Amino acid sequence: MWTWFHRLGSPKWFYEISGRWLPWLTAAMLLFLAVGVVWALLFVPQDYQQGLTNRIMYVHVPVASISLAFFPMMAVAGTVSLVWKMKLADMVVKVAAPLGAWFTALALASGSIWGIDTWGTWWVWDGRLTSLLLQFFLLIGMISLRSALEDGDAAAKACALFSIVGSINVVVIKYSVDWWNTLHQPATNFTADPSQPNGPEIWVPLLLMVIAVYLFFIISVILSTRNEILYRERRAQWVEELVSQS
Amino acid sequence: MIQFSSFQEFIEMGGYAFNVWSVYALFTVFLVANLLLPMRRRKQLLRELKRRRIAAEQMQKNTEESARLERAASSLGEST
Amino acid sequence: MMKPHRRKRLGIILFIAAGLSVAIGLTLFALSQNIDLFFTPTQVAQGEVNPGDRVRIGGMVREGSVESAQDSLQVRFATTDYVHDVDVYYEGILPDLFREGQGVVVEGSIDPNGVFQASRVLAKHDENYMSPEVKAALDAAGASADNHPMQPES
Repeated sequence: MWTWFHRLGSPKWFYEISGRWLPWLTAAMLLFLAVGVVWALLFVPQDYQQGLTNRIMYVHVPVASISLAFFPMMAVAGTVSLVWKMKLADMVVKVAAPLGAWFTALALASGSIWGIDTWGTWWVWDGRLTSLLLQFFLLIGMISLRSALEDGDAAAKACALFSIVGSINVVVIKYSVDWWNTLHQPATNFTADPSQPNGPEIWVPLLLMVIAVYLFFIISVILSTRNEILYRERRAQWVEELVSQS
Repeated sequence: MIQFSSFQEFIEMGGYAFNVWSVYALFTVFLVANLLLPMRRRKQLLRELKRRRIAAEQMQKNTEESARLERAASSLGEST
Repeated sequence: MMKPHRRKRLGIILFIAAGLSVAIGLTLFALSQNIDLFFTPTQVAQGEVNPGDRVRIGGMVREGSVESAQDSLQVRFATTDYVHDVDVYYEGILPDLFREGQGVVVEGSIDPNGVFQASRVLAKHDENYMSPEVKAALDAAGASADNHPMQPES
């Protein structure tokens, strides 16, 4: 168990194994994305109230729900980096912050555009919208913290702690719609019964899009982590060999 | 079943063309940017590391060369 | 198989994280009175809203209460949580989702006559998505899927 754990922490091992996974992950993502987008845009029936604006859900929901995965992921990686001093874990914490900011920004933007006609406003300071905006600023703060601290070790520690504390906000975002009254809807409960609201004709394409965006999230974390590995391990024998072959 | 009877109708999106298409446009930008930026960064990184490596090798060669010259010069000095 | 100093470090981190979460949790709890986006008609009836104060009220548009003027954008309706009603007057463009039985959030203030003068009307969407066919079938079966998200919890 522990040898496996230590091997996982080896940047070289991660670089090699992720290089082998990338083509498969990309192919699977493109497949889910293509089917999901075509299904969502062309085949999903219009909503009885919202009409065809319901197409926005198929972008907004996957991106928004996966944007909530960043802080917990950084908190786990940050804990590993604090306790075991694993270099790879800190690299993941570092590359996740800007990616998380992208995801959060798109979740906010797509939600705003959806709200213009359905709610009658693109912004309201309710619990859900405000806490997600807070997540965006927390991520920007984390990126600046990293760049402000020149000492890599101190930056790793500070960002690890920051992500552990910041994870509390994810709980707030998730339950904001239940704890307080908001303009944002509470979570939808999907059902397998096609004669009921939120049936398969609504959620099957949504599931495809969630899988596609999840794969995209994994791919983009891997791509950035590999760059970080190349940079931080640039003096290692195996990177020098790789560079001279390129 | 396809929900549209014509391409025109598909583009119009039941009056929500701006909302729907701008969200899908942003989504496309988001996907492409987050794949292309790390790929471009990787190319730059490899080029930069290679340049540094060649520079380091060159420096190594130069030091060896000057050391050799110095040895040659000193041996010349000794012989006279 | 964790080394003792690592276990100690993990303990310190967990302690800090727990301490901070308690602190943040307490702050949020203290703030929670102000985080709600709107008052319910019941809260209005209980006198929690002073006339003239700029507030938001959320409820359902009572069925059969909407009266729109023929030649202007003036509209009157009652918003309700099925316990109490608040009469609303509004002049302006309504969001696409505004209709009877729909959740709305109105922004404005209560005038001396007890009518809510709204300067903005927002539509609240519930968590149910379905096609018009499914909706029609449900209505025909008498088991309308309309739920009332703003009904006070019993």
